Amino acid sequence: MKDLPYELWEPVIGLEIHVQLNTKSKLFSTAPNRFGDEPNTNISVVCTGQPGALPVLNKEAVRKAVQFGLAVGSKINLISNFDRKSYFYPDSPRNFQITQFENPLLVGGLVTADVNGKTMTFQINRAHIEDDAGMLKHFTSFAGVDYNRAGAPLIEIVSEPCIHSPREAAAYAMAVRAIVLYLDASDGNMEEGSLRIDANISVRPKGEKGLRPRIEIKNMNSFTFLEMAIEAEISRQIALYINNPQRAPIELIPPGTYRWDPDTKQTILMRRKESADDYRYFPEPDLVPIVLTESYIDELRSTLPELPHDRFRRYVSDLNLTEYAASTLINEKMLSDYFEEALKICKNARSLCNWITVEFAGRLKEKGKTLLDIGIPPAHLAKLVQMIEENQITGRIAKSVADEMVASPGMDPEAIVRQNPDYQPVGDIASIEPLVDQVLAENPQSIADFKQGRDKAFAFLVGSVMKLTRGKASPQVVNELLRKKISQK
Amino acid sequence: MAQFDSQALEHLKKLCRIDCTPEEDVELLDSLKRVLDYVGQLNEVNTEGVKTCRYVLRSMLKNQMREDEVKDLLPREQFLANAPDQIGGMIRVPPVLKAP
Amino acid sequence: MKPFHLCSAIELRDAFLKGEASAVQIAEHFILRIEKHNKEIGAFLSVLGPRALLKAEALDKKRAHNKPLGKMAAIPVAIKDNMHIQGEITTCGSKFLKNYKAPFEATAVRLLEEEDALLIGKTNLDEFAMGSTNENSAYFPAHNPWNLKCVPGGSSGGSAAAVAARLALIATGSDTGGSIRQPAGFCGVVGFKPTYGRVSRYGLVAFGSSLDQIGPLSATVADAALSMEVMGRHCPHDATSLDLPGESYTFPKNLDEIKIGVPWSFLENLKPDVRDNFNHSLDTLKSLGAKVIHIDLDILKYTVAVYYILATAEASTNLARFDGIRYGVRSRNAKTLENIYEYSRKEGFGPEVKRRIMLGTYVLSAGYQDAYYKKAQKVRTLMLDAFEKAFSDCDAVALPIAPSGAFEAGSIHDPLEIYLQDIFTIPANLAGLPAVSVPSGYDSRGMPLGLQIIGPQMCDVPVLQYAHAYEQASRHMQIPPSYIGSSK
Repeated sequence: MKDLPYELWEPVIGLEIHVQLNTKSKLFSTAPNRFGDEPNTNISVVCTGQPGALPVLNKEAVRKAVQFGLAVGSKINLISNFDRKSYFYPDSPRNFQITQFENPLLVGGLVTADVNGKTMTFQINRAHIEDDAGMLKHFTSFAGVDYNRAGAPLIEIVSEPCIHSPREAAAYAMAVRAIVLYLDASDGNMEEGSLRIDANISVRPKGEKGLRPRIEIKNMNSFTFLEMAIEAEISRQIALYINNPQRAPIELIPPGTYRWDPDTKQTILMRRKESADDYRYFPEPDLVPIVLTESYIDELRSTLPELPHDRFRRYVSDLNLTEYAASTLINEKMLSDYFEEALKICKNARSLCNWITVEFAGRLKEKGKTLLDIGIPPAHLAKLVQMIEENQITGRIAKSVADEMVASPGMDPEAIVRQNPDYQPVGDIASIEPLVDQVLAENPQSIADFKQGRDKAFAFLVGSVMKLTRGKASPQVVNELLRKKISQK
Repeated sequence: MAQFDSQALEHLKKLCRIDCTPEEDVELLDSLKRVLDYVGQLNEVNTEGVKTCRYVLRSMLKNQMREDEVKDLLPREQFLANAPDQIGGMIRVPPVLKAP
Repeated sequence: MKPFHLCSAIELRDAFLKGEASAVQIAEHFILRIEKHNKEIGAFLSVLGPRALLKAEALDKKRAHNKPLGKMAAIPVAIKDNMHIQGEITTCGSKFLKNYKAPFEATAVRLLEEEDALLIGKTNLDEFAMGSTNENSAYFPAHNPWNLKCVPGGSSGGSAAAVAARLALIATGSDTGGSIRQPAGFCGVVGFKPTYGRVSRYGLVAFGSSLDQIGPLSATVADAALSMEVMGRHCPHDATSLDLPGESYTFPKNLDEIKIGVPWSFLENLKPDVRDNFNHSLDTLKSLGAKVIHIDLDILKYTVAVYYILATAEASTNLARFDGIRYGVRSRNAKTLENIYEYSRKEGFGPEVKRRIMLGTYVLSAGYQDAYYKKAQKVRTLMLDAFEKAFSDCDAVALPIAPSGAFEAGSIHDPLEIYLQDIFTIPANLAGLPAVSVPSGYDSRGMPLGLQIIGPQMCDVPVLQYAHAYEQASRHMQIPPSYIGSSK
């Protein structure tokens, strides 16, 4: 594809994020809200649309949704209602979804996210609760319907079309995911479908005010795919406009729904929007209004945990982490919690962060695991870093200890060090001093060079001592001793 | 109100997913037209400033919610006992285009 | 003692409790009666003989061991076939559900069973409760025991006919636009629709969710009140169920100080025999001490229009679940998914159901919702306001049940004309009001007529109290001559 004049065009992106709440039971049905079990084993008469069954609202779902609203500063509608949205599909047990169309629970809100080192805020248009559909499993000669997921509680978060790049989209979506994790409102598992993102994408020449026709991309189940899909679609649309300057936008970009194909790295048309998409929304007569009180909202506000962006700011300003490091930690709440636990034992935040996000992460990636499922308690990792801090071991030894910790998760690093004589840091001056003397005696030229200002000579001397101690001496001690003795000469 | 004609009927049948015989089409076109004409008399009622009746009970019920508890499961055999076609614990349907 | 079927439900229960009759004897008696008469009346779609006998044996054992017995002990109760008895077939009078086994029990049914009622069978109805004559049943029509050529009314035609012929002493019905009261009136029995939300709708196959209520049909008002004491409970499975304790019914002797409102301008075109009968009923009420006053409910002339927009709109979505996918009859001709939907619904639904689903879909569809559905919702508000205003001047509203007594089957073909039959019963559904039909005499052809008494929301007890006083003073309760005899 020839180079497109991206700088002349502005992408306009809105995201609809469906988050599955992690309540025990479903939204209107008392069946278990669980993933991965045998088909049709987590069902009730309500979520299979049996005649005569009726929906009853789960109060915990309301609570989690209101907490989300508080976390993003939405206006919480004290009175909200449910509506029926009609469409026929086998995964819909009643052929209508119960959603909130006219009076959603939450209106507006802001999500703060770090995009390439810059703090940006994105606006939410509205958010509401609704029930999920079941799952259709496709085989060659038939399809099978599993209603385990039917009726699961969803919060649908609709952003304003205020996102202007794939990177911004990913940052926004990651920030939303972090928020629901921190609130313990969802497990945010994109592979399992507890967080689903649909993107609405259009482009327009920079400076043009109105919105051009847009298409929708569904079911991108990772942030990487999200960015790739949006990037691909932006290019597709710009190319269409550039190559067909005479044609009307609505002809070039007819409304439609696309899905992202990760193999061909392309967006593929699923269906055009037809006028037969008449959802016929009307008030759900089987449910009564949700009426919230200020005291209920205040009580929930007082129980809000620390939110991701607040934690981000704390990491950057109080703990002096780089923005990149802070982002890496906070976007995975459990990792950040791990870090906080370790911080209780070892106060060097930067070093801890490095060991968590680089040293251990790298070793564990090879094993296909992460710190969250390998079974190395935060206290152990903290102790390792602390031992470096206290000069009990060198950084190089620490790396070997880390290897052993990964190989035998659960082994205390202090025990590993104790049991291996090679790891005993030789920090006592009595044993190092003779070696320092020996090196100085054997290298008079280096002493002379150093005294003349050649630092390299000093490093050579340090290196020689370290060689004699087989790397076990504390570099700091060696340094000090050398300097002292050289100055005495 | 707009005229209810056979095009409107065809569209309606698609929306409700009901197929009809030609005789039924004729009868429905006639009876629906007349009923729609009849109910159209609501036009003459002045409803300016009147709210829609979302809930009939004036002492409005609200917040009829339940605890987040798992109970009253429908056993799979009972669910599938009424199923027209099933396979591997799932309801079986003809192959479908991926996702709406 | 007199034959069981000539007793009221309370009388029969008391006889059982006193040991004058065994539950098994009672069950057998009514099962035999049904066997003898159901073919000609068509009241029952299914009879639960073995189930009832098992329960009867259990009741006799309980009594023999002096265990406590429920308020409905040994009373044969029929259940309209759009309410679930767990494990039994619920057809809703439709071919679509001819093999559907209910996976759960309706709350109202469970409450009756817990009070030891004998559930004797499932009664016939217009398909999915859509109709006023029981002619829309996909199986066979039900007939009026007063004249088998005439309709029993609908949609709870089977329940009304069963009680009229004393094949059961109490039957449950469902009332969306009059489906309990109108057949009760046509068959000369008592029929009561409670305040919306009084009885749980859990386990009732929904037609018009904001209008449906379950209620009793019975020979006497006291029997209806007994049923209400049992069924009128809060239910956690129904979010529209009133969160109030159950009520108990006492019956004062007269109607002193009670004001009965009559919307005369709404009754201008009554047939002479219906008008005379209605006036006579009002005289009876006056003789009991009530004052009859004029009230303005002119807005009710739009009642049928509002109803056929709102009820069909709700029904169009309530019946969308009948798609041949998860349950019900799937068309054998279906090759694709769209086929399954279109053919199963084509083959499974009768013409009236199709008509109403289409009407309901239309009034909700894009471009028409404001003019039809939203407009009707606003007029409904006006009707609620009008009733509220009327009830500030009176304690209850009196109306005839229907523009006429029961007519011959097949005599009305025009759907719109059938819809207009509901003109006096629909208002109570639109406004969520408790309303009762009490036998009030006969029309010029000797077919039963009914007096309707409507009260403000939550006033279920007063409405039945007024009905009881009227009933005791007028004594119109009778059994059609052909069914008075014993079953032997």
